[in-house]
Amino acid sequence: MAKPKVSSDWLAGCAGCHMSLLDMDERIVDVINLVDLRSTPITDLKHPDESGVDVGILEGGINNSYNEEVAVNMRSHCKILVAFGDCAVFGGVPAMRNFFTIEETLRRAYIETESTDESGHIPNDPELAVPMKVHAIQDFVKVDVFLPGCPPSADAIFHVLSELGQGRIPELKGDTLHWN
Amino acid sequence: MATITINGNKLEVPDGMTVLRAAQANGIEIPTLCDHPHLTPYGGCRLCLVEVEGARTLQPSCTLPVSNNMVVKTDTKKVLDARKFVLTLIFSERNHFCPYCQVSGGDCELQNAAYNEGMTHWPLSPNYTTFPMDASHPYIIMEANRCILCRRCVRACGDLVGNYTLGFEERGANSILVADTGVPLGESTCISCGACVQVCPTGALIDRWSAYRGRETQVDVTNTVCVACSVGCKVNVLTRNNSLVRIEGDWEGAVNEGLLCEFGRFDPMKVDCERIATPMIRKNGALKAATWDEALSTIASQLKPLSGKSADGVAALISTRQPIEAISLFKELFADQLGSGMVTTTEEGEFTADSAVYADMVNKAFETDLKALQVAGAVMVVDADLVKDHQVAGFFIKRKLSAGTNLLVVDKKENGLNPFANKVLKAGKGSNAEIFKGLIAAVVKLGLAKGKTAIKAADLDGFAAATGLKTDDYLDAAFVLTSAEKPVFVYENGTDLAVLKELADVVEGELLSLKGGSNSLAASQLHLDKTFKINGHKAAFFAIGDGEASQKSVKEFEKAPFKVVLATYASALTGVADVVLPSTNWLEQEGHYINLEGKTQWAKIAITPAEETWTTVQTLNALAEKLGVKLTADWTKEMHERVSVVEIS
Repeated sequence: MAKPKVSSDWLAGCAGCHMSLLDMDERIVDVINLVDLRSTPITDLKHPDESGVDVGILEGGINNSYNEEVAVNMRSHCKILVAFGDCAVFGGVPAMRNFFTIEETLRRAYIETESTDESGHIPNDPELAVPMKVHAIQDFVKVDVFLPGCPPSADAIFHVLSELGQGRIPELKGDTLHWN
Repeated sequence: MATITINGNKLEVPDGMTVLRAAQANGIEIPTLCDHPHLTPYGGCRLCLVEVEGARTLQPSCTLPVSNNMVVKTDTKKVLDARKFVLTLIFSERNHFCPYCQVSGGDCELQNAAYNEGMTHWPLSPNYTTFPMDASHPYIIMEANRCILCRRCVRACGDLVGNYTLGFEERGANSILVADTGVPLGESTCISCGACVQVCPTGALIDRWSAYRGRETQVDVTNTVCVACSVGCKVNVLTRNNSLVRIEGDWEGAVNEGLLCEFGRFDPMKVDCERIATPMIRKNGALKAATWDEALSTIASQLKPLSGKSADGVAALISTRQPIEAISLFKELFADQLGSGMVTTTEEGEFTADSAVYADMVNKAFETDLKALQVAGAVMVVDADLVKDHQVAGFFIKRKLSAGTNLLVVDKKENGLNPFANKVLKAGKGSNAEIFKGLIAAVVKLGLAKGKTAIKAADLDGFAAATGLKTDDYLDAAFVLTSAEKPVFVYENGTDLAVLKELADVVEGELLSLKGGSNSLAASQLHLDKTFKINGHKAAFFAIGDGEASQKSVKEFEKAPFKVVLATYASALTGVADVVLPSTNWLEQEGHYINLEGKTQWAKIAITPAEETWTTVQTLNALAEKLGVKLTADWTKEMHERVSVVEIS
C-alpha cells in the first residue's frame, strides 16, 4: 500500500497554522513515515501533483479571486480536503474586514495609513487578484475535515495527520476539540 | 404524581413538573441555553428539544409539563441532529467570534454546548451585520453581537431583582436587548446589581473589571459572606494569584439566593486608596515606620496607666464590618479589662440602640425574616431607603409588586421606593409614633382591626393634623395594609417601636428591622451602642479596619491627646494618629457575622494578607499580652446574654 499523498497550501491566513504544525517537534518524523508529503508552502514543491493527492490541506480563508483558484484547484486534485485553522473553517481574524466595504478597506490600506504619503493609490493592475468578502473554504468547495483553532494545537494537528495517514477520517473530541 | 418514561427509564414525577426538570432530577442530561434553575422557563433557544411519542414534532422539554404515561427520548438521531441544527442557527444568527472573547475557553455556555455535540464548525457563515455594543456603563458592557436572545437577563432583571430595566426591541433577527426605552445602559434605570451579567450564558453581558483576568478553570473560588451591610449575602469570591478577580452571588446562599447589589459585587473591585503597609509611630510631627513590637509597646505604655478610669481613660471605637470575634475581644479589652465607659462602634447604635431597649423591656424576640417578604401581601417600609442600601432586601419587595403585593412607604425624606409604592405617607411634621397611631386609627375606622388597641377611629383627625397629612391619606394607607395577607413592616431604627408593634399586631403583621452594618446586631448584643464623645479622655483607639469613621467621630477623635488607629487604608484618621497599625481588609480575614435575621454565618478568608498586615483579632491579642491581660470572652455565649428583637441562631 503506497503511503497516502498529502499536499498543503495557505490562502488568506497568517501561516500560524503551519507553524503550529511544526510545533509537533520530533513527531513530524512519525508523520513523514506515515505519509508522503508532496508539497507545502514551506517545502520545495509548492503545488499538488497534477495526478492528484489523497489529502489536501488548506490554511487561511478565501478573500480574493486567486485564493478561490487555489482552493478550487486543490479540491479537484485531492480526495479528502481539510480546512486547517479558524480562517479556513469560518473566516477567522481576516473576516473582521467583512464589517466594512472593500472600497473602505482598500482606501484604508493604501491611502489612509499613517505612514503613507500623498502618493498613495489603490493598485488596479488587471493581473492582480480581485478582492472579495472573506469566506470560509466551505463557501466555495466541499470540505471533508474541519480542524478549528487559532492555531489548532500541535497535538490536534498530529492527531489529524496520523489518522489520515492510517486511512481514517479523524474525529476531534475532548482535548483535541477544545483546550482550556 | 405521574409515571413517565425517559430513554426507557420509568420515573415517578410530581404533576406539573416539566420534562426537563424531571430529567435533571433523575440524572438525565438535556442540554439547555435559555433555561436557568432560578428563572421561569422561556422555551426560546430550542436546544432542549426531545422526542415525545405521539407528538407531531420535537418538543421543548423546558416548558412541557409531564403527563401520565408520556414516553420521552432524548438520545435519538433526530434529537441529536436537531441540537446541532439549533446551535448552527444560533451561531450564524449573530457574530460569534470565539478567538478574542473573554468567556471563550470554558466560560461560554454556547461554546460548551457546541463542544458537547462534537461540533468542529457550523455550515453557515456568520452574519457580518454589525450589532451595537454599549460600553456606557461603568461596570457592564452589552455586546449585542454575542447575544443569543435567551432573555435570561430580562427575566433576572425583572423576576429576581424587580427593577425591569432590561427588555427587547424589534422582532425576529432584528431583536435587540435594550435598557429602558433604548437609552445607553449607563444612563438608564439600571442599579448595577449585576444579576444580568451573572446569568448571561455568553459574552454578551460582560463585567468589564474582571474581563480577561481569569477563566473559571484558572481561578480559586472562596465561598464567604459579604460584609457591606446586615443582609449578609453569600458570595463566591474568585481570586487568582492571591488577587481579587470577581465577586459573584452564591445561588445556594440561603439569604440572597444568588443576588447581590453593587456594593457587594462591584464596589470591592474599585479599591484604589493607599494601603497602610507597616505600623507607624509619630515622631517629631511625622509618621515613621516602626516594628509591631515598637508600636504595640508604645500603645501599651500609654494605655496601662488609664486602666480602671471609666470616664476619662481611653475611648474606643470599632467598625461594624469586623467579625464578631474581633468585636468581642475589643469589648473585653477596653470595657471589661481597661474599664472604659466609652466603647462603641462606627454606627454608635444609630440603628440598634432603641430596638435593643425595647427588646430588653418585652424580654422576647419577635421579628420575622427576609423570606417573609417573599410571601407578604403588603409591605410597609419605614424610613429605610431600600433602593440605596440593604438593596437585596429591596429586591425581595420590588419583585413581588407586579404579582399584586402592595407597598406603603412612610418616610419624611424622599425615599427611592416611592415610585414603586401604592401609597406614600410623607409627613411634613410630627413623630413616627403619631403616624403609626394615625394608621391604627384608620384601620379601626375601616373596621378591620384584628388586634386590640386603645386608639379609636375618632382619633384619626387629631393624628392627621399633627402630621400634616389628610385623613384620606391614612385611610388609603390603611386599606393598602389591610387588604392583604401577612403584611410585613420593615423599619430602620427602633424609635417608637412600641407603637409600630401595636400597629403590626392590629393588622396581624410581622416586623423586620435592618440594623445597619454587617455586625451591628452582634455589637448591640455586646452593648456597644453609645454615641462617641471625647470628654477628657486621655486616649482614643479606633479599630476601623477597611471601614469608614463618620466625620463627626473623626472630629471627636482629634480631641484626644493620644490617638491610635487600626486601619487598612490611609485616611483623615491615619493622618492625625500617633500610632497607625496596618489592618487586613474583609477578604484577608475570617470570622462570624450575624445578619439582620439573626442568622450566624462564617466569612472565610479568600486572600492571604501581607506578613506585616494583621487581623484585628491578632492585634488585640498581641496588645493584651503587652498589657498583661488575658482575653477569654466566648462570643457564642455573649450573643445570648441579652434578648434581641430577632432570634439569634
